[in-house]
Amino acid sequence: MSSTPVPGVTGDREPLPSPSSSAARPRPPVGWRRRIWRLVPYVPALVPAAIVVAIAATLVVASGLHNFGLGFFGLAFNSNLNQFGMLVFIVGSFLTAVPALFLSMAIGLGIAIASTTYLPPFLAKIFDPFVDLLAGIPSVVYGIWAFLVIAPIFGNLLNPWAVAHLSFIPGFAGNSVSPTTAGVGLPISIFVLTLMSLPITTLLIRDALRSVPRDLWESGLALGATRWEVVRRVSLRHGSRGIWSAAFLGFGRAIGETVAVAMVIGSTDKLPTNVYDVTWTMSSFMFQTLDAAFGNSLYLAALAELALVLLVITLAVNLLGRRLVRHIYAEEVAGL
Amino acid sequence: MSGTLPTSEAPPSAESTVLSTRELSVLSKQRSILTHVNIDFAPRSLTAVIGPSGCGKTTFVRTLNRMVELTPGLSVEGSVNYLGQDIYGRGIDPVLVRRRIGMVFQRPTVFPMSIFENAAFGLRIIHESEDEIDKAVTEALQRSGLWDEVKDDLNRSAFSLSGGQQQRLCIARALAVRPRVLLLDEPTSALDPMASQRVEATMRGLKEEIVLVLVTHNVGQAARVSDRVAFLHAGNLVEVGPTAEILERPREALTQQFVTGRFS
Amino acid sequence: MATAVGSAVRLDPSDDLRRGDTGWLRWRTGFDRWMGVLLPLLFGVAILPILDVVYYISAKAVPTLSWSVLTSYADYQAQDALGVPIVTTFLFMLAATAIAVALGLFGGIATAEFLPERAAGWVRMSANLLAGMPSVIVGYFGYFAFVIYFGWGLNFIAGVFTLAFFMTPYIFRTADLAFSSIPRPIREAAYGSGAKPVQYILRVGTPIAFPQILTGVFLAMAIGVGETAPIILTVQPGLLVPNTLFQPAVYMTYLIWTGFSQPANSVALTLAFQAAFLIIIAVLALNIVVRFVAARYRKRLEGLYQ
Repeated sequence: MSSTPVPGVTGDREPLPSPSSSAARPRPPVGWRRRIWRLVPYVPALVPAAIVVAIAATLVVASGLHNFGLGFFGLAFNSNLNQFGMLVFIVGSFLTAVPALFLSMAIGLGIAIASTTYLPPFLAKIFDPFVDLLAGIPSVVYGIWAFLVIAPIFGNLLNPWAVAHLSFIPGFAGNSVSPTTAGVGLPISIFVLTLMSLPITTLLIRDALRSVPRDLWESGLALGATRWEVVRRVSLRHGSRGIWSAAFLGFGRAIGETVAVAMVIGSTDKLPTNVYDVTWTMSSFMFQTLDAAFGNSLYLAALAELALVLLVITLAVNLLGRRLVRHIYAEEVAGL
Repeated sequence: MSGTLPTSEAPPSAESTVLSTRELSVLSKQRSILTHVNIDFAPRSLTAVIGPSGCGKTTFVRTLNRMVELTPGLSVEGSVNYLGQDIYGRGIDPVLVRRRIGMVFQRPTVFPMSIFENAAFGLRIIHESEDEIDKAVTEALQRSGLWDEVKDDLNRSAFSLSGGQQQRLCIARALAVRPRVLLLDEPTSALDPMASQRVEATMRGLKEEIVLVLVTHNVGQAARVSDRVAFLHAGNLVEVGPTAEILERPREALTQQFVTGRFS
Repeated sequence: MATAVGSAVRLDPSDDLRRGDTGWLRWRTGFDRWMGVLLPLLFGVAILPILDVVYYISAKAVPTLSWSVLTSYADYQAQDALGVPIVTTFLFMLAATAIAVALGLFGGIATAEFLPERAAGWVRMSANLLAGMPSVIVGYFGYFAFVIYFGWGLNFIAGVFTLAFFMTPYIFRTADLAFSSIPRPIREAAYGSGAKPVQYILRVGTPIAFPQILTGVFLAMAIGVGETAPIILTVQPGLLVPNTLFQPAVYMTYLIWTGFSQPANSVALTLAFQAAFLIIIAVLALNIVVRFVAARYRKRLEGLYQ
């Protein structure tokens, strides 16, 4: 790649003297020119980095790094009273993203193991793209489908069933009828987030499992182990980095997801009282209240600061997840 | 869940054959890879399988523990008999076959675990008791000649071992489940000469205890460690017999040509 | 069993291959077989939603669609008229893609061709981080930077640039990958015959990498056409197709966002379904084109590996 010497840029060519150059013209030393040329490719290459920095910088400026005090991480939110406690939204983000991550990893593991181990190759080749297709559906389309089709199922069927049968588990008891529309709230938001982070977790776990060398796999079988035993004890361990990476990146996806969640979370600035309740997440709250903040500079600053919190979380999680995986780009397939 | 595991056998008997093949053939869609191989393996012996590349030695040895089934598109005909039972018979689970007939691969394939856990792998999956596992691991490591080198810390990662040590760990791992047969597919081809020697020494020790089937492209190695030599060519078993005979006074011209290095 | 080999060998229960140690073996094999059935079923978790989404949206949208609806430039807030949103979205896509390509293409190529490994690693990390940004954050950036600080207001141009920044990393990655996967022999042959880097890129690299880059552009467009936050936060919806850069403009996803919770049979909800349907069609079409181009590209590359 760029390890082969590139003639011209690291150039060793002297400029050809022009015919009438016998008169000495002051020329810059060639080394200086060479060093400038070597930097030229960095200009376009640094564009993404520049954008990231610009985003962070803009949010920092917009928030003015206002000291909202500890109240920023408090519960009281009332824009009229200049109270900007964001805890509800932070909690909401985690309450939806963490369960979604667990579900997405569990299902992703199952699908990846099925695809690499149990399904005959031709079937795997047919089914694998479907999971990637999930990533192709825009968030807002998920949202409208979830809101109109799935939410009623949760509201009329699943939530009442859970209340009836699972109320011994703390949090599962109580009123499952949401104050707004039937079925919106935490459960369906988790459902949506699971679906949306499934492509990236499945893809990364599948890649990790595929990286197990053939004779390592066969060594396991040759010891009299079943496929499951080899997968569980050898393959998963061998691919553990990739699996952790799947977890981090999947979480990043889940917590950053905005529009679909906005449509089914219930959009209430209160902490949920049980698992069926409505609430709000950082991303969806930011999305839905920006226009309410027009003109209110304090409100805008608070929102920008919340954006910074989300940005930091996202960057941290993505950095950690990417450091674990050796590929350049884990998802060259479909821009996940 | 076996109460008594076999220890050293009774004195050898002429009729006893632990493993044998009858009219064993392996066919792919395009061609036949092995044709009508008949061979017997006596209880405490090392049989070297030699032949030019592509002659089917690896495929042959992989039929002996049903690993050939992992390659799609191949069909197996004939029989492979372990203690009188055709391992390809109906109702026979390859998982059990592979416990009795173990395999060591070309490259050292240690699992990403500690030395102890590697060796214990085969026993863990059959849910042996901790005591049994301890005993069996120690015994296996001793039999493979690795014990003295690792006994100080068995909890080290297997990757901290050298290539030769890792391969002997793979042998120990296979031995831990007390197989009667051990298949070795060019086990020293990825090792340096020193390490190869250690592995050959291990094999010489093991052939006093169990049946070893060694695939090797190195005729010298066959001469050094084996009791019998089988020469395969283009899927046919050309000749099989005591090592000295095959290597010095082979009956077939083809064998003669191969062992004198005319072709490989 | 002992009769098979006489008294020469003391047998272990597991030597009986037919029964062996039936206790654990049956359980282990059974469990493995169960997994072989259950785990593949999990594919349904992915497949069923996709099918249902496409079916549901199509079922709701198709009956209401007609040529007149698609081409009418009437007020979409009052009646079912998709002309303005379709054309405006198209303009958005064109402009944003152009800017994204300008921003991402050269960087990707530069990273693949010129940067040393360590720098390339960091640069690629930055592209990945940018791609992983929540859309709402990019939208917020667009709002503060373009709408407020640049003073562009909630107009078309702000949305175009915000969307372009959002799409850039995908183009960047694809260009980088495309050039990185040009077979070494070809690259070395070109440089060996004295080509300068720019000549290599233009004459040798681009023709080879072009199909892959094109697929990357299409995929970026497929992502962009479905985005909501970057546009809604930076552009005021307009009833007309924008003539200049500093006008309000409406986006397809806007129709879904505003219409999804409206009553059944309302214009807004109908528009929402129709918009969703059209977006799905667009994404599907782009993906099909991508697969088509990728297949031809693979064929071409196979020839190069002689």
